[in-house]
Amino acid sequence: MARAFARKGRGKDVRYSAKLDAVERAVVAGLMEQVHELVAPEAIEDAAPQGEAHHVDDFDAIVSGLGGLGMGVSLSPDDQLPDDRPVPADARSFGDRDPALERLLPAGNRADDQASAEFRRLTEHSLRTRKARHLESAMGALRAPGSTVELDERVAIDMVVALTDVRLVLGERLGLREDADVDRLEEELADVDDDDPRGHAMAVYDFLTWLQETLASAMLPGADHGRRAT
Amino acid sequence: MSIAPVEQEVVSSDSAVEPDVPWITLVWNDPVNLMSYVTYVFQSYFGYDRAKAEKLMMDVHTKGRAVVSHGPREKMEIDTEALQGYGLWATFQKDD
Repeated sequence: MARAFARKGRGKDVRYSAKLDAVERAVVAGLMEQVHELVAPEAIEDAAPQGEAHHVDDFDAIVSGLGGLGMGVSLSPDDQLPDDRPVPADARSFGDRDPALERLLPAGNRADDQASAEFRRLTEHSLRTRKARHLESAMGALRAPGSTVELDERVAIDMVVALTDVRLVLGERLGLREDADVDRLEEELADVDDDDPRGHAMAVYDFLTWLQETLASAMLPGADHGRRAT
Repeated sequence: MSIAPVEQEVVSSDSAVEPDVPWITLVWNDPVNLMSYVTYVFQSYFGYDRAKAEKLMMDVHTKGRAVVSHGPREKMEIDTEALQGYGLWATFQKDD
C-alpha cells in the first residue's frame, strides 16, 4: 500500500519521501520508460508516422505476471484504439504526429503557423532532451533498492515533471482533452467489465494523479512548513 | 508592483536593446495538469508569490487561459519553452 509523498527538513537538506511497493514502482517506472521512448531526442529519427516497430520494453512482461494495478498499460501509438472524435479546432496542430507527442510538444503560437514552425525548430531538441533527462532521473529514483522513495529537491523536480509528462500521455490515450472528458470517461467506465483495459489504465492514471498531487503539494514554496517563502 | 521574473536578470542585457511591441505568454487549460502543480510552476519558474501564482492558476482553470508574462518576443519564447518543459500548455503571441 502506497504512502504519499511528505516533506522532511528544509533548505538544502529537504527530502521528499514516499513509500511505494514493488508493483507500484514497476508500473510507474515502466510508464516513464514508454514516455521516454516517445519523447527522447533519438526518437526523432524514427518518427516515421505510425510505422516503425516500437519495441515495447520489458514492462509488459514485468507487470503482466504480477496482476493488479495497471497490467500492461501500453502508451505506444500502435496499441491505441482509433479516436474518431474531431480534433478541437482551437487546440492543436496535430498534423500527422502522434497526438500525445503534440501534447508534450505543442505548437508555440496559435495565431501564426510560421512562428510555431520556427519555435519548434529552435526548441524541440532541447525540450526533448530536458524531458528525457527528467524521466531518466525519476526512473533511477524509482528503481533504487528499498520501498522508500526519497528525493532531494533536484530529483523531486525531475519526478514531479516526469509524472506530469506520463499523465499527459496517458490522459491523451484515455481521450482526456477537455475538463468534461474526465467525467464522461468516469461515467463510461462505471459500466464496463473489470477486464476492460481502459479501466486498468484509468486506475493507473488516478494513482499517478494522487502521487503527483502529494508531491506537488509538498513542494509548494510556503506550504505548511512553518514559514513563508521570501 | 513588478511582475519581472527573477530570471529576467539573465537576459536583461539583450532585452533592454529593443523595447518593441509587447508580447505575451499564455497558459491554456487542460484536464490533466493539477492545480497544485500549476501553482508550483508559476511560483518556482517566475518567482511569483503564492497569491499571484494561485490567481493565475485559477484564471487558467476557470477562464480557459491566462497571460502569465509580458515582454519582448525573445523572452516570451523562452518562457513558453520553459513552461512546455514543465508540461504546461504554453504559447506566445503578440499582445493585441
